[in-house]
Amino acid sequence: MNQTFDFNRWRLLIAKHGYEQGKKYLLSLVAIAALLLIWFVFVLFANPYEPLPDGAQFGTYYVGLFLVGCIYASLLFSDLASRPRGIDYLSLPASHLEKLLCALFYGVLIFFLAYTIVFYIVELPMIRVARAIAYAHWLKTAHPKEIFNAGETINVFVMPRRPAGAPNAFFYILLSYFAVQAAFILGSVYFPKFSFIKTVVTLLLIGLVYVFLVDTVVGWIMPEGRYYHAFTAYNFHGPNGYEDGKVVTLPEWFHDLLSIIVRYAFAPIFWITTYFRLKEKEI
Amino acid sequence: MITIQNLHFSYRKRPVFRGLSLQLQAGHIYGLLGKNGTGKSTLLRNIAGLLYPDQGRIEVLGFIPGKRQPAFLQEIFLVPEEFYLPDIPVQQLVDLQGPFYPRFNHSQFERYIREFDIPADSTLQNMSYGQKKKVLISFGLATNCSLLLMDEPTNGLDIMSKSQFRKVIAGELNEQKCIVISTHQVKDLENLIDRVTIIDEGRILFDQTVDAISRRLSFRISFDNEEVKQSLYSESSLRGHAIVAPNANEEESKLDLELLYKAIVMNGHSIQSVFTAK
Repeated sequence: MNQTFDFNRWRLLIAKHGYEQGKKYLLSLVAIAALLLIWFVFVLFANPYEPLPDGAQFGTYYVGLFLVGCIYASLLFSDLASRPRGIDYLSLPASHLEKLLCALFYGVLIFFLAYTIVFYIVELPMIRVARAIAYAHWLKTAHPKEIFNAGETINVFVMPRRPAGAPNAFFYILLSYFAVQAAFILGSVYFPKFSFIKTVVTLLLIGLVYVFLVDTVVGWIMPEGRYYHAFTAYNFHGPNGYEDGKVVTLPEWFHDLLSIIVRYAFAPIFWITTYFRLKEKEI
Repeated sequence: MITIQNLHFSYRKRPVFRGLSLQLQAGHIYGLLGKNGTGKSTLLRNIAGLLYPDQGRIEVLGFIPGKRQPAFLQEIFLVPEEFYLPDIPVQQLVDLQGPFYPRFNHSQFERYIREFDIPADSTLQNMSYGQKKKVLISFGLATNCSLLLMDEPTNGLDIMSKSQFRKVIAGELNEQKCIVISTHQVKDLENLIDRVTIIDEGRILFDQTVDAISRRLSFRISFDNEEVKQSLYSESSLRGHAIVAPNANEEESKLDLELLYKAIVMNGHSIQSVFTAK
């Protein structure tokens, strides 16, 4: 029997979690749908000239995804906050990896799919309503030669009106979502109580320390100048400022490595840290 | 089965164990007695791998509990004092949680449930604390784990359930199994345990088999003032004086756990000397 990962044990864990939490998850999805509906109705009537524009739809999807995804992530290991639940959780004969992968299955994969489906379930009929409102308005007010043009269902993963060759910024927003959510998953193991708030405060503090380090501490060490091209190039002041200064650039491979880390590595790093934190958890 | 060597454990700055050593063997029911806050539950959680020793070593069935490997977790079951059971029907609990334990036996579980008078088709949500506890005990027994740890298992059980509990536990012991019951309600364990371990201030105050206790100590009611004076421990009761005295004549007397416990807490040194004397 494999002590690190056994598919059969993991399957049992998935079934157990699904059955025990299923009702709660369904109710949560209904609540999310209701909130999206209320918000869309508000947006719809706030601007009848252009109801539910692309920006409002994208904004709603991503703000909701970040907010609900991080709140849910911060509850993933909330069982560890209570001794009876924590004992039940840690004593269950499954490995820490299986328990983590079960949490990631529901918290990352299933949540992402379920949220996206719920978003479209609400958005699709709301777009029809929006078009009807906009059409009625267009009939009343538009110039006879003006073409009716109202909101359409969007693909939330593709940036609209993107110039040819430009990167799809939404892909990076999604990557950053998984990274931030992973930080909240780690926070739920580190801070069993008030996990969401404590993780927000911790992330803010880390951000402040980072800014302080880069701006002040490194600023003291470096000669006068400025960064550009992220942190892989530095423009030193010459006697007449930047014009006769010099640019020091780190090797291309370092820039590539840094890009990969910033884009892809944060979420896995936080998940791996969560695994080790779970292993050392005491109740 | 369980070897604890030089266990040191503390909660932040409050030390609980300073060099505790203990060995527990299969085929026995151990009664872990002690006052509130002496570390009984902490010891059980250390054995179950839910807490990690600051120093020292714990080995259970050849495993280091703190690693919480599935093969280890399949072999132990902890019935904590404060426990959690999801709000699902009993049958679902068995179907979802039972498969994690390779030796889980459904018919055994149903038998215990019947013995405890729990309706098998009920939902845990609608059960009282005592009923839930009986479900958990039944589940723990049906897992057929090698090591069953129980923390204050009789708390919340009514009088009938306590005697059902004793009956069920006594019937389940075998040569491969070890049961450790921690409690401060010592009366509940009478006629059940075969070894008494008393913890006080983080150390083992007393650790003897029930056979040895019965051979060495006598528990009786006395009306003789001289005998009361010379006893290891005495307390007055309506019927006379209940005393603990050395069993010099190897008389048969029924072990009174509560009296023994008080005697050890009040006069542990003298009691110990009876066991160390040849």
